[in-house]
Amino acid sequence: MPVRKFRSVADMPPALLRPRLDPRNLELACELSNTAAGLAPQNARRFPRGVHKYASVAEAASRREAWERAAGRE
Amino acid sequence: MTFVEAMRILEAFERHRVDYVLVGSMAMAAQGLVRATRDMDVFVDPTEANIARLRTALRDVFADPEIDAISASDLGGEYPAIQYAPPDTDYWLDILARLGEATAYDDVEYESLRIGEVTIRVATPRMLYRMKRDTVRQQDRLDAQVLKDRFALEDE
Repeated sequence: MPVRKFRSVADMPPALLRPRLDPRNLELACELSNTAAGLAPQNARRFPRGVHKYASVAEAASRREAWERAAGRE
Repeated sequence: MTFVEAMRILEAFERHRVDYVLVGSMAMAAQGLVRATRDMDVFVDPTEANIARLRTALRDVFADPEIDAISASDLGGEYPAIQYAPPDTDYWLDILARLGEATAYDDVEYESLRIGEVTIRVATPRMLYRMKRDTVRQQDRLDAQVLKDRFALEDE
């Protein structure tokens, strides 16, 4: 596959497009996720197990992103 | 998360009649916008009865005593977002009951996706767009733009 360069993320092609509500879509997403996890060493680190409670969805996302950044530095 | 693991959870939700809607990246994928993700996001009805069914469904899959800490009083009260990371897995579930002050379970539009014997409730593209457009997270804003373009959605 040739190298393609973009001036911004907005110019990049969107996620893989599939027919709506095709039964294969979730399976493809899981396969893609596992392939991505195998390529990124930080993904081998597991999120702290158990139940974590947050006052908002934004707080949950923020905590998760902080954990992902920390995992990426290790 | 493998496809088999995802389907085990969704099958348990159906078997135990959990009132839920799949949202987030998995719902985006179901709607045809496939990308990698490490979590499964579900919006749930935070009633006592429904959260009891949710706990039963999750215990069927994971046999983890931590699941008892998922409560209707938290989800319907001070903690409308709960992350559950099962033991010995590399993924987690985001369990949501409210988005800001605006979106509650009864507001979530969904449609059904049948995979094998399992019927999955998936948020509509318009619902996913509403949920993502006003957030601060960059990935969500990009997702919102992709949804808007792909499904020719209008701002309301």
